[in-house]
Amino acid sequence: MLVQSLILAAIHAMVPLTVTATGEILSERAGVVNIGLEGILLISAFTAVIGAEAGGPLAGLMVGLLTGALLGLIHGIIAVYFRGDQTVSGVGLNILALGVVAIGIVDRWGAAGFHRVDRAFRVQPLSTPLGAMSPMVIVTILLAALTWYLLQHTNLGLKIQACGENPAAADAAGVRVERVRMFGAIYAGALTGLAGAYLSVDWLATITENLPAGRGFIALATVVFSRLNPWLAVVGGLIFGFFDALGLIASTSQELTRIIPYQFIQMMPYVVTLLVVAGVIGRFRSPSASGQAYRRE
Amino acid sequence: MPDRSAPPAGAAGQYKPVSVLAGAPPWLEMRGITKVYPNGTRALENVDLRVAKGEIHGLLGENGAGKSTLMKILSGILPFTSGRILLGGREVSLRSTHDALAHGIGMVHQHFSLVPTFNALDNIILGRGASLASPDRAAARKRIQRLMEETGLHAPLDIPIEQLPVGTQQRIEILKTLDRNVDLLILDEPTAVLTPQETDQLFEVLNGLAARGTTIILITHKLREVLALTNAVTVLRSGRVVGSRLTEGATAQDLARMMVGTERLPEVKERRQHEKTEPVLRVAGLTVKGDGGQDAVKNVSFEINAGEIFAIAGVTGNGQSELIEALSGLRPIANGRAYLLGHSINGKGPRELYRMGLAHVPEDRHRLGMVAQFSVLENSILGVHHEPRFRRGLPGTLHWGKVRRYARDLVHRFQVVTPSLATPMRSLSGGNQQKLVVGRELAKSPSLIIAGQPTRGLDVGATAAIRDLLVDIRNEGKAVLLVSADLDEVLALADRVAVMYEGEILAILERHEFDRERIGLLMGGVHDGSAAG
Repeated sequence: MLVQSLILAAIHAMVPLTVTATGEILSERAGVVNIGLEGILLISAFTAVIGAEAGGPLAGLMVGLLTGALLGLIHGIIAVYFRGDQTVSGVGLNILALGVVAIGIVDRWGAAGFHRVDRAFRVQPLSTPLGAMSPMVIVTILLAALTWYLLQHTNLGLKIQACGENPAAADAAGVRVERVRMFGAIYAGALTGLAGAYLSVDWLATITENLPAGRGFIALATVVFSRLNPWLAVVGGLIFGFFDALGLIASTSQELTRIIPYQFIQMMPYVVTLLVVAGVIGRFRSPSASGQAYRRE
Repeated sequence: MPDRSAPPAGAAGQYKPVSVLAGAPPWLEMRGITKVYPNGTRALENVDLRVAKGEIHGLLGENGAGKSTLMKILSGILPFTSGRILLGGREVSLRSTHDALAHGIGMVHQHFSLVPTFNALDNIILGRGASLASPDRAAARKRIQRLMEETGLHAPLDIPIEQLPVGTQQRIEILKTLDRNVDLLILDEPTAVLTPQETDQLFEVLNGLAARGTTIILITHKLREVLALTNAVTVLRSGRVVGSRLTEGATAQDLARMMVGTERLPEVKERRQHEKTEPVLRVAGLTVKGDGGQDAVKNVSFEINAGEIFAIAGVTGNGQSELIEALSGLRPIANGRAYLLGHSINGKGPRELYRMGLAHVPEDRHRLGMVAQFSVLENSILGVHHEPRFRRGLPGTLHWGKVRRYARDLVHRFQVVTPSLATPMRSLSGGNQQKLVVGRELAKSPSLIIAGQPTRGLDVGATAAIRDLLVDIRNEGKAVLLVSADLDEVLALADRVAVMYEGEILAILERHEFDRERIGLLMGGVHDGSAAG
């Protein structure tokens, strides 16, 4: 029974990591790195609640997705057209999110730092042999499959990879590098936005000042783990998600917290992330021009 | 787009390409093209170019003459400041390579534009077909195999580009452009990395394409190629058209004169006469490999005496960079020996060479000459920072007071204009950066200083200052190895000039033998007026 609920929890914890990582994989393949995923998760989680309370859970998911796409668009414009530093822009998104959402929650619901999403506005789970499962799990697998197909089996996929490896070559071949990279940036934003909405109007059913709690960064670790392959992002999401879930379950278990302080258990996902990424990194070659602006002259 | 499968070679073989200069109607016209870069550099000034359909047109000029810039404009890579481009009598807008390819204009770049992790097949089909469709690799493979048969250009289709030799990459680059069914094929120095056999084969292919109506523009500095292949040639110098003429009846001398001009030697500081002394640097049968593993420097021998500026002239990319990298310990010597003051330098690194009396002003100033993010202070001791005179007691420590005194003295002596010693190097103008680099190297009191393109990209004042410094140390009895693509600089400064072409030294001339035309011919690979081939 405990094993079953742990597996189910791990699958649910996988969703935001894998969906976010999948979007970022495509973006990094095209040459745009966004370390502001954490910020996009938080802002979209917030707007998704507003959307869901106005028009139901599906509207919430859509609002989250569009919010993310818009933030991805902004990051893309800075990175691609203004050739700004992608790290700075990403950090900016993270900081912006902390401020906007903290004020937004107070402004919207009058409560400081916390708002619970009513059952009526949440995504309804499907019943499965494992137990109640969010339909977003299926969406996650579909998105990974779609992204993989796009990258490996379409002309667009070739263009995306060329823009990340050698934008000058892509340019010479008639590929509109800026457009392809903008597509990548918006795609990553949109998927991250969807993941943010899942956090608030589905899985955690709440909005707080720091709802993602580092999941945007763990998604970046998942990207490294995946070596930019969407299928491996599912595997990575499950591994990191398992420890995330373990932390959530174990910290509420009286017997366990008597032996190990719950702070240590909650540290687990981050420690595991560090270890896994340290093991994977170095053996991984990211696209040569990823994170670099493309300039013709 | 027309179907390449339609006319096989020979079917339209009767078609005789002619030039606009011979009365053919112009098909491509570039009128009054001017290109000013955002930093104010005027790369092209009112350039006109007219080419007929099916013509092979040569574009000849020295480094920096604007040949590549003009063609990058035509292939949609660079925007131009003013002027018009007409194709078949209609003005066209070429704002991107996408536009250019849509008009049937394709360019084979000098620096390959291939994605290193893709194989040839994926590189060739990149950017084509509907975005969401699957790439039709089977059809593309068939098409390219037929193209390879037709043209005789063969390349493996399934091996990642990064694992292929440069000659093969070049063929893939050409196949890629031909597969676009271009009407106008631009080639930028296509033979730079090809063997003579491959070059001949390529020329045959190009002749065949022209016979079938493809218009070809060949960028080159090799006179032999212009004479062997083209119908007409346009010569550029410093961003302006010197003239256009039919190739028929032209000699290598005519073209060399157009290419390098006939100005008088510019004035420089007086040079003191010296007695001939023993050689400072002796290079014997030196062979150095290039990045692609080919022989970039081939069995080169020369000596440099004390009190002499020995210059290496030549168009960039003929092995000069590899030569100075080998002599300054940055690139292994594949074969042969070199001696500095009688001691072998084979296998010695930069620090040992410095101790032996070598100073080096690198060609690539920004990458090898300085650390752009570091301050002027830090940059002024790069390479000597380990010496006891900058220590505070233990080895590995730095006494910043001593460093500051040293840097202040350097800045003062070499008249580097900088707001402060703490200013990052990248905030200085190119001229002041170079003055600090040259000053730092001269302060090592070397016996030999190797200066690679020391005034490239500098303004007139800084150029004069650097040149005067080089003459000064020559007059002090030091040896200078100057590598410069600027013929004026070479003629003004050098006591002797070696001309390098395709990794070999074709000739070493004494100052009284200096002759622009002769050096121009040698730079174009022509020995003593006998245009080979």
